[in-house]
Amino acid sequence: MARVLYIEDERDIGQWVLKDLTGRGHQVHWLTSGEGIDEHISTADVVILDVMLPGLDGFSIGRRIKKDQYDLPILMLSARTSVEDKIEGLDFADDYLTKPFHPDELAARVDVLLRRYQKQDEEMELQHLLVHTRDGRIVHKDTQEEIQLTGKQYHLFQFFLKHLNQILTKEQLYEGVWGEQYMEGDKTLMVHIRYLREKIELNPANPTIIETIRGIGYRVKL
Amino acid sequence: MKRFMHSLLAKYMLIIIIAIIVIQLAYLLVGSVAIFGFNMHEDEDIDASKVENKWHEDANNIDQVNEVNINNLFKKWKEKYPEAGMFWIDGEGKLVVEIDATIELPNKWTSVYTASFIKERYDGDPFTVIAFLENSESDGFIVLEISRTTFDPPILQASERFGSLILVGVFVFVLLFIVVSFLFFRSIQKRLLKFQDTMGIRDVDGLPIKLEIKKEDEIGELEKSYNQMVDELRDSRIREQKEEQLRRELIANLSHDLRTPLTKIRAQSYTITQEKLTEEGRKAVRAIEISIANIDRLIENLMSYTLLMASKYKYEPSEIDITRFIRESAATWYPAFEKEAFDINVSLESLGRWKIDPIWMGRILDNIFQNVLRHAKSGKYIGIKTESYEQYDAIIITDHGPGLTRESHEKGAEIGLTIVDMMVKGMELDWEAESSIEGTLIRIIRYR
Repeated sequence: MARVLYIEDERDIGQWVLKDLTGRGHQVHWLTSGEGIDEHISTADVVILDVMLPGLDGFSIGRRIKKDQYDLPILMLSARTSVEDKIEGLDFADDYLTKPFHPDELAARVDVLLRRYQKQDEEMELQHLLVHTRDGRIVHKDTQEEIQLTGKQYHLFQFFLKHLNQILTKEQLYEGVWGEQYMEGDKTLMVHIRYLREKIELNPANPTIIETIRGIGYRVKL
Repeated sequence: MKRFMHSLLAKYMLIIIIAIIVIQLAYLLVGSVAIFGFNMHEDEDIDASKVENKWHEDANNIDQVNEVNINNLFKKWKEKYPEAGMFWIDGEGKLVVEIDATIELPNKWTSVYTASFIKERYDGDPFTVIAFLENSESDGFIVLEISRTTFDPPILQASERFGSLILVGVFVFVLLFIVVSFLFFRSIQKRLLKFQDTMGIRDVDGLPIKLEIKKEDEIGELEKSYNQMVDELRDSRIREQKEEQLRRELIANLSHDLRTPLTKIRAQSYTITQEKLTEEGRKAVRAIEISIANIDRLIENLMSYTLLMASKYKYEPSEIDITRFIRESAATWYPAFEKEAFDINVSLESLGRWKIDPIWMGRILDNIFQNVLRHAKSGKYIGIKTESYEQYDAIIITDHGPGLTRESHEKGAEIGLTIVDMMVKGMELDWEAESSIEGTLIRIIRYR
């Protein structure tokens, strides 16, 4: 359960999202403009923000929120779909979803943001693993043994968890974890993935947690 | 008038006028020196007959013929004609006194030698006057030799005496004129070259930079006009940007206003799906969902098409690793194909760096993938490959769908491919599509 601050001036859409997210177990506070936003910011876990609003527009409100609370994730939800708008939004916001959207997609994106910002003390079940996202502990469900990872393996696994269900290319993984540019033909990443699989997979020869997507990269799917 | 005085024309005319004045002054100076200088030097005009008469007169009027008097006489003449030669042959044919004779003289003059001397000098050069002393042959004769040039007109004499000097002077003057002209034109050339260099420099906004005006001559005027042109260009760019901004804003607002009701329809249809529905009802809601997705895509394509047609779609090319770019794009589309149970075959080799706009390329790939997903779903196959040959590199996207049919055109595939076509060509790439009932192959080509 997360506390969602939702700003949307269109009543039909607002009510629909409010109902849907509440139905998914979130506590939603819906406002029709930027007025009175300050009262709710301190208690919110995530902000969903429309762009075209009466008074201050969504971009200005979003920037102000980020200035005051850098670790509060913002998702822009707008019918403005131009590249320029998306770029302007993503300048400060964490995600940009365009209307018309599917409520499942909105809920999934909210979950991703909450995970990325570790706003919830979530116990995530990943096949035979139990992952505590806040402190990063990984426990084998059957044996209750904690799996110890080395520094790089831990970072690599955390990177996968922050990008759950996303396919990550070799370049994205290497640059995300090592912080250096990936050189074509470098085997470092493959070696670390092999070691990581040996620790977390039931059968490292046939991995099911870290999937290999042929020709593209790897994925950890929930 | 002030403007004329600052002009290059005026400056060069000044150089010419100074040159003409100097030439005139030089002629005047040479003329004056020739005429007055020589006349001042001489008491009277030098005339051969006068000299001859005077020599005879002096020879006749000598007080007493002896060596001292003769010497005095010679000295007096020498003062007047420094270049003259004189000698005295006495009555016995003996050379007694000699001053600066032009030839080697024998000490003893025989009648034969005297006759040959007279013959040789008659009407010859030097001008020679032979006079008997006191009109008596017994004391012998005195001889005066003066170069005939002494009797030339003064101007001729000046030319002979200062000829080489005048030549050198003229040469130096011409050289000076050439040097001054060269320096003058070189300074013009340097300024024009600097002008040209500055014209090639671009500011951060891609427009030419303004010139610094140092002089108010013709080049200065040209620089002023150029700066004015740059200002006008900048104004026009700002105007164009404002128009572009307005157009974008209009399209963005239009898109927003179309999508908002579309979202409301989706909200309603989603709410309906939460109710208990008959099979017919579920079908109808699914049809509404598909229509919403179609309209959404059409709005997006229509907006892009409008911007592309008006050349207002922002184009910002940069060097990108194309293989990495395709891989990342394929990664985002993978789940969508996976959901539809597609067989996904990705095989990418390095194609190096392409200078393209990543947003444009992303849009091209999105449109192609979207078409595969929507119109080639039955084939359950997508291939994303690269090809590299000597002449070209290519990205190949294949499907096993029914090919590009009329039906797919009607469903909006055409506008998507039109955008692909405009964007591919806009990035100086090429593309081709091969379509049959076996499927479609799209090749995006970059020629080397």
